[in-house]
Amino acid sequence: MKYDICIVGSGAGASPVAYTLAKAGAKVLVLEKGPWLTEKEFYKDELAISLRDVYNPKLEDEQHVIEEEYQTEAGESFWQGEATSESGWSFWNGTVVGGSSNFMSGYFHRLKPVDFRLKTEFGAIKGANVEDWPLSYAELEPYYALVEQVVGVSGQVTAHPHQEPRSTDFPYPPLAEHGISSWIDNSAAKIGYHTVPVPRAILSQPAMGRNSCEYSGYCSSYGCSSGAKGSGRAALLNHAVATGNCTITPHAKVYKIETDNEGKISGVLYYDKAGRKKKASAQYYVVACQAVETSRLLLASRGEKFPNGIANNSGQVGKNLIFSGGGTGRGDFFYQDLSKEKQAQLKQVGPFINRALQDWYQIDDKAFAGVNRDGKAKGGTIDFLFYQNPIARAQSTKWQVDESQNSEQLVWGEALKQSMKKEFTSYKTLRFEVFNDWLPTDNCFVALDDEVTDKWGDPVAKIRIGAHNHDLDVGEYLAEKAEKLLVAMGASNVSSSISSAPASNLMAGGCRFGDDPNNSVLNKYCQAHEVDNLFVTDASFMPTGGSVPYTFTIYANSFRVADHIKARWQKSSN
Amino acid sequence: MSQMQKAKVIRQKKVVNKPLSKIQSFFDEGFQTPQWLKKKVSRRSVLKSAAGAIMIAAIPMRSWSAESNDKFISALQTNPWLTLDSVLKHLLPESPTGPCAEDIKATQYLYNVVFEQPTDDTEIEFIYKGVGWLNGFSQSQLQKSFVSLTFAEREKILKAISKSSAGENWLSNLVGYIFEAMLTPPSYGGNPDGIGWQWLEHQAGFPLPPAGKRYYELPGQSISKLGDKKSSKHSDATTVLSHQQYTRKQIGTRKA
Repeated sequence: MKYDICIVGSGAGASPVAYTLAKAGAKVLVLEKGPWLTEKEFYKDELAISLRDVYNPKLEDEQHVIEEEYQTEAGESFWQGEATSESGWSFWNGTVVGGSSNFMSGYFHRLKPVDFRLKTEFGAIKGANVEDWPLSYAELEPYYALVEQVVGVSGQVTAHPHQEPRSTDFPYPPLAEHGISSWIDNSAAKIGYHTVPVPRAILSQPAMGRNSCEYSGYCSSYGCSSGAKGSGRAALLNHAVATGNCTITPHAKVYKIETDNEGKISGVLYYDKAGRKKKASAQYYVVACQAVETSRLLLASRGEKFPNGIANNSGQVGKNLIFSGGGTGRGDFFYQDLSKEKQAQLKQVGPFINRALQDWYQIDDKAFAGVNRDGKAKGGTIDFLFYQNPIARAQSTKWQVDESQNSEQLVWGEALKQSMKKEFTSYKTLRFEVFNDWLPTDNCFVALDDEVTDKWGDPVAKIRIGAHNHDLDVGEYLAEKAEKLLVAMGASNVSSSISSAPASNLMAGGCRFGDDPNNSVLNKYCQAHEVDNLFVTDASFMPTGGSVPYTFTIYANSFRVADHIKARWQKSSN
Repeated sequence: MSQMQKAKVIRQKKVVNKPLSKIQSFFDEGFQTPQWLKKKVSRRSVLKSAAGAIMIAAIPMRSWSAESNDKFISALQTNPWLTLDSVLKHLLPESPTGPCAEDIKATQYLYNVVFEQPTDDTEIEFIYKGVGWLNGFSQSQLQKSFVSLTFAEREKILKAISKSSAGENWLSNLVGYIFEAMLTPPSYGGNPDGIGWQWLEHQAGFPLPPAGKRYYELPGQSISKLGDKKSSKHSDATTVLSHQQYTRKQIGTRKA
């Protein structure tokens, strides 16, 4: 059967296209590498979600090669790759129908107008390849509003120095808040900060055939068993399938987009569950496998007209990959220092903190010693959260640190029991996460590895993860602001860690969009400059990523592109 | 000035390491920490997570089939399980402070790790080899097997082997499984009635996986049946990953 639309991948980039086109009456095929799980397969099980990482491929079967920069004794630097099956550093984020959106926390901050024109606002930065978007905030705004409706975003608009323009209010009221949220608000007000209630892609009321949040307290990174979390699967694909127009094929690993000798796509080739080679064809093709795998698929799709991979005659595919700059920080609250009432507030499990700081979304501070002039730079977002995973928490309790010897000793017996009891029952840690732009550079890209292959024998993606120093400067500036708030709240052991190591779940770029085919892969509608019926709708299109998690913007942009594809499909079928 | 991060200096040291099958004791200098264990050890210092609160949820208890239980009871009569049971009980002893290994069913949980969870053969081999090395050392020092020792003698022997790299690795791995037995959902064989959560005032999430929905029983996972484990083969046993590997993914990842 020839479909109208064939979509490779099923996450936040893919599901809006499936939803929009299936509802419009087009025949849609979704090819997903992973299994099709439902709410019935998601539990609050630390083994499944993190310790055994079961929603992702085993790294011996499918992996990446990560290139980092090293230095010889003589001071010469060079890049060397390490396979992730050796390092254990997985770059998979959810290989199931709905993709990583099943496992997101759903912090749904919009980008702000400034994010669409960083080069214009702040000028070029040496060593970085910053470009303005070929799109304005105003053009994307209606799609943010649409996502808030159909994916379901709970939140509250407040006046704020960096509040972006909005055409609508939030369709769902805020989720229940944790006791510590008011502590954050009070301390922030005292030191002149403005807290922002964090919008979440989690239903606070039942809607659209989905239950509301059950407040199990284990939200972030766990699959949602109530259906409240707005994954692409729960919020969009279920509705797409219900139209009768959308077919989802799980366990379908696409390995090549095949082109004929004129450069036209003749179909996508995939391995089915049994490893057999299959082919699917359609009028329009959409690739949305998450940034790294999207670039890998395009690079692997060589043909007579595309000797370096489809849509890559400009050599731009895989280039300007970005992650998220920033890092994490923490402060501890010891129960013995708190009143009974405050202890009870702090120990509460279930409701959300839902607080962010965006006072420095644009830095304008002479004290900021970044590469930019006059202390002006793009800043970022600080979010607050608790961690839940108890087995991970227990790990530190088996080591007794001897600081005089700079060594650690394994403890067991009564000492271990005391250590565990103290760790779990004497304090609670409030954490923060800093999100700032990861500048695109020539040292952050995806290529095909020359040696390592996956279980089907195809070359894996090699990811060079070089970061720009400016990202660290901004991240440290923001972390210092967040630490100041924790100190004002009375926290102990306040610290932070800003790192140039990427968070592997926050990836974008590699097929950036732009008006110039010589330095971009996609046009404004995320259609390949070189291939008329090929679209990319995951985060690959982003030339710069903004300073918030990506999922919301992926959804909004994918709905925008879906409208464009729908108009073309409707025109061609009339 | 370079815009890149300060590059790391590569240090490589030459190590003559023997395969596990050739190692005769904890103190064999040819022992090198296995790759799977190295990964979790190197990251242990940055691992701190989670939260504490009062346990309120009612915990489903039954998860362990009668057949599994019979096999477990029978395995406990001989080595390696006889010794492993004894070591786990020493590592988490009875005391008024909190539950002991027996209370949290630590040995039963480890049995599940070996026979039901898809644990890699190299890790199981290491756990079993350690039993042989421990008893060998105990015999050489006190002319008795580990299970025949007094509490004080056991402590002395474990302290001695923990001074070796292999011994520390082996014990640390077992303590890691004590944490899992204490804090995983009860369907995995440990933590009966949520006893570990209650002791540590940890509020578990919900829903919890029942038997039949444990991670290795979900669609898309390969299921290992009791007793099948020994027939599985691995062509390159040195590159496989441990179950208990706490990856950088957990550490570097931010909630998005």
